[in-house]
Amino acid sequence: MKSNHSPSRRDFLRTAGLTAGFTLCPSSLALSRSSFSWTKKKPGSLVCIYLRGGADFLNMIVPYRDDAYHSARPTIGLRKEDGVVELDSKFGLHPGLSAWESLWKSKKLAPVVMVGSPHTTRSHFDAQDFMEFAAPGDRSVRTGWLNRYLAATQKKGASEFRAMALEKLLPRSLRGNYPVLAVPRSMEKKRGAKTLSRFEEFYGVGGGVMEGDDSMMDRDGDVVVKSGKVTIETLRRYQDLLEKGTSSVKYPSGNFGKKLQSIAKVLKSGSGLEIVGLDYGGWDDHAGQGGVEGNHHTRLADLGNSLKSFCDDLGSILDTTTILVMTEFGRTFRENGNSGTDHGHGGGMFVLGGGVRGGRIHGKWRSLTSDGLYQGRDLAVTTDFRDVLAEVLHGSLGFEPPKGFFPNYSPGHLNLY
Amino acid sequence: MSMEPLSRKERAIHLLNRFAYGPRPEDLDMLLEQGEKAWLEEQLSSAPEPNRALTAQLKELETLDLTPHECFEYTEVDQENDGSEEARRKARERQNIPRKQLSQALVRRAVEKERQLEEVLCDFWRNHLNVSFTKGNQARILISDYERTVVRRHTLGNFEDMLMASAEHPAMLHYLDNHLSRKPPTEQELRDVERRVRRRTGSRSQGEEAATIAGQKGLNENYAREIMELHTLGVDNYYKQKDVIALAGALTGWTFSGGSRGTHTFEFRKDMHAFGDKRLLGKIFKEDKENPQAQGLAMVQMLARHKGTAAFVSMKLARFFVADVPPPSLVKRLTKAYKKTKGNVPSMIQSLVASEEFWSREHYRAKFKTPYEFVMSAFRALNVEISDFSKVHRALMDMGQPIYHCDDPTGYYDTAESWLDPGVMALRWEFALGLAGGKVKGIEIPPNYYDSLPQEVPRLWQHYLTEYLVPSGAGKRTRNALSTITNQYLAKARVPDSRVLGPELVGLLLGSPEFQQQ
Repeated sequence: MKSNHSPSRRDFLRTAGLTAGFTLCPSSLALSRSSFSWTKKKPGSLVCIYLRGGADFLNMIVPYRDDAYHSARPTIGLRKEDGVVELDSKFGLHPGLSAWESLWKSKKLAPVVMVGSPHTTRSHFDAQDFMEFAAPGDRSVRTGWLNRYLAATQKKGASEFRAMALEKLLPRSLRGNYPVLAVPRSMEKKRGAKTLSRFEEFYGVGGGVMEGDDSMMDRDGDVVVKSGKVTIETLRRYQDLLEKGTSSVKYPSGNFGKKLQSIAKVLKSGSGLEIVGLDYGGWDDHAGQGGVEGNHHTRLADLGNSLKSFCDDLGSILDTTTILVMTEFGRTFRENGNSGTDHGHGGGMFVLGGGVRGGRIHGKWRSLTSDGLYQGRDLAVTTDFRDVLAEVLHGSLGFEPPKGFFPNYSPGHLNLY
Repeated sequence: MSMEPLSRKERAIHLLNRFAYGPRPEDLDMLLEQGEKAWLEEQLSSAPEPNRALTAQLKELETLDLTPHECFEYTEVDQENDGSEEARRKARERQNIPRKQLSQALVRRAVEKERQLEEVLCDFWRNHLNVSFTKGNQARILISDYERTVVRRHTLGNFEDMLMASAEHPAMLHYLDNHLSRKPPTEQELRDVERRVRRRTGSRSQGEEAATIAGQKGLNENYAREIMELHTLGVDNYYKQKDVIALAGALTGWTFSGGSRGTHTFEFRKDMHAFGDKRLLGKIFKEDKENPQAQGLAMVQMLARHKGTAAFVSMKLARFFVADVPPPSLVKRLTKAYKKTKGNVPSMIQSLVASEEFWSREHYRAKFKTPYEFVMSAFRALNVEISDFSKVHRALMDMGQPIYHCDDPTGYYDTAESWLDPGVMALRWEFALGLAGGKVKGIEIPPNYYDSLPQEVPRLWQHYLTEYLVPSGAGKRTRNALSTITNQYLAKARVPDSRVLGPELVGLLLGSPEFQQQ
């Protein structure tokens, strides 16, 4: 009997590790398995950091000399004397990101301005879905863009430990047919290892055969069993890597820094980790965003300092690592009456790493006049976010997204690498 | 797979899994004795809760029935505050009393109430019309009242009434920023501001700056969008951005009186309201000068009665109670019931139970428990005694679903896809072992829980405990794994003790694949 559930993860967990490819994608995408027989052409890693809530990129890559900017943001706007890190004659970094100055100078930091989605939704949830599935407006796509990469480059017998998220729940960009591990922090400890051993037999680890069971664990039960099995096997591997790993620098004490520290250990171990997904929440600054002081600044300082430590810790590994910082949309050009900003349209991205053409601003800037603004209120989108994703996949992992990878879209060129 | 109809016992198990937070050890027999129909009637009854002891004990949580205004006293800084660390700690503790008591009450109800369906439904509505303590300080005093006057009051009533109540509740207006939304100031008002500030400060640029800021206070679309996207029509169904703006305009001035002098009740502020006729979903809503709030009320009511809302709410109910991807035929049936009754909840439940789909074997035991359902069902199956509710909050937090703490207006998801990431199982296992092993101080399984096991046949204990925790039965692999543990224990123990082997088996059963499903 044909069951009636969604074609995404459930089907996938059923086939996890058994078959490669995209056979479960909506057929409308016309993604056949053969068109996805790609292999990775170079060793590299991509760390994808998602700022949840619609981060205000206009106050991150700041047009600090623009009068229109200042009159639209009389209280939260940033000037040179506020400590803006001057990048060029036009743009500067928010003082919270001052730790990145050296990355800019060593040409490892490539900001992209006015990036965003062609879809005009101002809903967080939709915008995040569309961006993480890299299919704006197309609700039939339910696999994350990073997961599609993993599935497309899957090799027989390869390590199942190619991707992870240090989140209790997997970010949407990593959901889909390829099994990706979500690591709860408690599993980084010894006690975690003991817990896993207790449940081995229940979930068929070590010789457990999936077939031949009686009627009890039917369809959906199977999904649970497989999920448990994958959990045990991959968490073990992760614990092992952390135990052997070391850090060469100190990280800020926050949660985000700690996560990056763990990731650096895994990357330095050379275990073949390709994709990491990390969430950083709380960027929905409707009120109390502030300028040089305020919530936005506090978060930016943590983000900036933690990532700087991460880059230092990676050392030469940074040469083959790309860090992508993104968000679902930018915020309104004008500040609101609550020292904050509301949901907007165009935003920005940061691409950071060894191979990027850093030390210069990427993307096309449009003037902040009523003509240049989107609907007269938001930053315009001059670069489709998929252009950045495509180039990052190619530049960091040697993977050229084939036709259909981004449904109904052929990415343009940016020269990010 | 056999597709024969569910047996009487299986139907009873199904009811306890979907309309209750799983069975307590005695529940299955009781339901079978009482009969399906009588049990359901009782679940939908509006008579007082039969568990009088619980009702009496909840009375001791003094903040549960307080208005936001009364709760506000808890958040005020103590007069005797001497600024010391100790005083600050005390103030913080006091501020959190309403939140903690609410969470304690909800857990106790989910675990102990006889009217289980009411609690399950409350959870559904709580997520459908989500508000969250994470929104900020004011939420602390608003949400107990929201739970009582919006969710609980209407959970067995009409959705339309619940929606209208939520739209006038400070907790919702605050959560989705509508309390800040106001008509944009006119040119004249801006000039007045400019002049006033210029005169006061003697600075032309300060005057202009003040006018700029004043000019930016205006419409906040957040709530208007979420009403349509999440509460009624479903995302991008029927409405466009211009509808969002129209609704947001009608809802300007829907705010509440906050701050230390406020009453913390709903307030319609004419001075914030954008007057004028508006068009929502193609229908004109005339301005009502006498009663300007009427326009917004009429819009929300129209949304509640819209066919799109009937379909959306029905789909969500079917997903919640039946299957992650609900059968369209069932959704249609519920939609019909909704349209007939303005979203009368008991009628929709009746319609659900009368359907073939609800009882289909395909859906039996086939829905993944959310973390909340997992924890509550564990507590019930084990008759736990909870003395420290902060531990429950902690556990739910670890698994990603603390009560009234969902940041996203979507509320917590109820599908396996949203929860079943590899790695997530590890959190459940930790919880299972900790709970069964008595490692969680403040949440205890009564020691005599294991005394009812037949002491003379320790090899059967695993079967008895399986019957309590997973009455639908365990698969071969789980049975084998439990036998392994039993054998290991019996090989060492001179006198088998059910209080030693019992907890070990229970920890594993809670973490077994079978217990994750309902």
